[in-house]
Amino acid sequence: MATVSRCTAAVALLMLAFIPAPSRSEVDEVARLQQQLEALQQRLEVLERRLDTERRRSAARPEVPEPRFETERLDEAVTGAERLEEARIGAAPEPPPIRFGGALRFNHSFREDVRDSRTRRGDSGFDLFRLNVDGEIRDIILSAEYRYTPDMDVIRHGWIGYRFGDESMIKLGIHRVPFGLLPFASHNFWDGVPFYAGFSDNHDLGIAYERSDGPWDFHLAFYKNEELGNAGRLARYAPDVVRKDDQQNEDINRFNARVAYTIGRDTGCENEFGISGQRGDLVNAITDSRGSHWAAAGHVDSRCGRWNLQLQGIRYDYDPDNPAGVSNDTIRLGAFGTSFDLAARGKLAAANLAYNFDLTGRWLDQLVCYNNYSRLFKDVGDGQDSELNTVGCGAGAGPLFAYVDLIFARNMLFFGEGSLADGSDDRWRGRLNINLGYYW
Amino acid sequence: MLLCTTALLLSPAFAADRLTVVSWGGAYVKSQMLGFILPFEEAAGITVDVLEYNGGIKEVRSQVRSWNVRWDVVDMELFDAGRACREGLLLPFDHDTLPPAPDGTPAGQDFLDGSLLPCGIGNVVAATVVAYDQDRIDRPPRSVEDFFDVQGFPGRRGLRRSPKVNLEWALIADGVAREDVYRVLDTEEGVERAFRVLNRIKPWVDWWRSGEEAIRLLETGRVSMTSVFNGRVFDAVQRGENFAILWDHQVWFMDVWVMPRNGRRPELAADFIRFATSTESLARQMRYIPYGPVRRSSLERIDPEIRRQLPTAEENMATAIEGDAEWWAANLDRLKERFERWLERPVMVPRALPN
Repeated sequence: MATVSRCTAAVALLMLAFIPAPSRSEVDEVARLQQQLEALQQRLEVLERRLDTERRRSAARPEVPEPRFETERLDEAVTGAERLEEARIGAAPEPPPIRFGGALRFNHSFREDVRDSRTRRGDSGFDLFRLNVDGEIRDIILSAEYRYTPDMDVIRHGWIGYRFGDESMIKLGIHRVPFGLLPFASHNFWDGVPFYAGFSDNHDLGIAYERSDGPWDFHLAFYKNEELGNAGRLARYAPDVVRKDDQQNEDINRFNARVAYTIGRDTGCENEFGISGQRGDLVNAITDSRGSHWAAAGHVDSRCGRWNLQLQGIRYDYDPDNPAGVSNDTIRLGAFGTSFDLAARGKLAAANLAYNFDLTGRWLDQLVCYNNYSRLFKDVGDGQDSELNTVGCGAGAGPLFAYVDLIFARNMLFFGEGSLADGSDDRWRGRLNINLGYYW
Repeated sequence: MLLCTTALLLSPAFAADRLTVVSWGGAYVKSQMLGFILPFEEAAGITVDVLEYNGGIKEVRSQVRSWNVRWDVVDMELFDAGRACREGLLLPFDHDTLPPAPDGTPAGQDFLDGSLLPCGIGNVVAATVVAYDQDRIDRPPRSVEDFFDVQGFPGRRGLRRSPKVNLEWALIADGVAREDVYRVLDTEEGVERAFRVLNRIKPWVDWWRSGEEAIRLLETGRVSMTSVFNGRVFDAVQRGENFAILWDHQVWFMDVWVMPRNGRRPELAADFIRFATSTESLARQMRYIPYGPVRRSSLERIDPEIRRQLPTAEENMATAIEGDAEWWAANLDRLKERFERWLERPVMVPRALPN
């Protein structure tokens, strides 16, 4: 190539040499052509050097083996057999950003200690109508639940949340207090003593931050006051300190913290160990002064295979600043349209065992059977301990879910004259409760 | 001018020198282009327009019923081909017109059993197999039973989020002979039996939807073994992964060439199918994609080392299950719904029951 180019240049020069004597303009033209030719020759030399260099490099480079299959991207090689199932039978539509749900429930209860109930072979009735709104638009989350029952209509929860890039979240509004076993400290419909004492599935108004870091879960929360802005209101989903009669206390400025560590997260056997604490003030409307309260809990929530064992211990202390003549040994709580007293200091224990049955049939989707035991050890007065034990099963088929619970209680609220404060006749009482709901 | 153009477009001569072939995307269609579409264009002196689609028979049905058929040949999943054929949307194909193997073996004997359909001709076979990472597993599985034995072969498993293949394998793991699998699945007891076996490993299963996800589960070590399409494993091995395939009870499905009824160029379409399913064409296509040709004579022309890694290699077919597309066409909708419900049933006690 280089040789041919050089020859061409030589011939060109030779031809120029044999041309008759030129005029001035022709001399200029010849000079211009010569310059161009020289420039081309220089360029040719540069290209030749580059070509030599590339050849030497190629010779030094190891041989690259040919790919076995001459495809660029085998992962794009999709045949019919590999087609997504969704493409074949139709993909599920994208869920809307805001979803609505709810429930309609009916209840049947047979109370062996109540003569009327025995005579009527139990009582049936409407239990609840519930509406839920949940959704997320651009990382801002909404969740709310309204409940109507024969005793009350109430907002159970209603909060707005923001999800950060690291999946941590901040919630503002009425939400579940992060304390102890979450989300519930029982499996059954009737719940356990911690719920009636206000230490489980309780919802208050405040701000909370939640974060998961590998096996760790952190909750930090602050609650300004009870969730409905009226401490005298008894229509509540879960018990709160209320102002009623001689007890005029209100739970304010409460801090909550909860830390949990899970061994074996996302495996077939998860074991969560956690501690929780809360501290707040009790403002008294009569004395216009502040008492305080605190609680601490430790829990284990073990989900191994189809078994679930929950253990929880709680220590709590309410120290209200009541006016003279009003006992500081009890604190008044309100919920379900009524009020009741709780021993101001005490310990709570819960032990729940549940088994999720292995179902393969077409009709029944879920069958969970359980025994839930909980007890309140009262540290004040001469109140006898309150106990609640529920054995039962929850079964689900599509939107239907039913609980069948056999409940035994001693010195327990809503069982005879039982109380969480003073105790009663120390007798075990039983109740069969069946609750059937349609959930959507 | 307009009249001239219209006349030209409508002239039989113009229409006959183009053929529209519809197939899948990516490297698969590339293997077809290089394997036989470009050679066919050269041999027939026509242009083949290749379109990609996502399967299903809706479009074919629409074209056939309106007599406005724009697709001459379609690479259809066997599952869909059976449905379309029953609906009368496809032209029947005369198997006697297929070219014999180079050694004179008639096409009827050269094609794999079940690959010659009344309305279509099989082309390639893709299989669902068990794959595992040899670097992460102490003892390689020897059978599908080992896949379901999480005590003997510890580690998580990957399975496709579909009843297909999973139910077949569950029965195999429970002792059902491969030839009886669909007969057993045809009964309610059989389906329950399969779900009971799946229940045994449910806590250890990660469910995938696409082949890419399945391979990723293996690559990241999330699972010790997974079901996966065989082609994906080859790809991963080429990228340097030390994956291996367990061919025991591979479940294979094939794609078929079909001709929508009421087409404008049925003879040319049939010519194309004959060309595309010839021994040479299929063997050529296999240079570009690790699927199995449906012709035995094509297999013989493939490099032995590669042949051993194809679903249709004799040693890999020893215990293979032919995915029953007809059965799945009749049962997928029903079982998919049931499968999804089963999948949603948690193994663990739920954190929250309805409240």
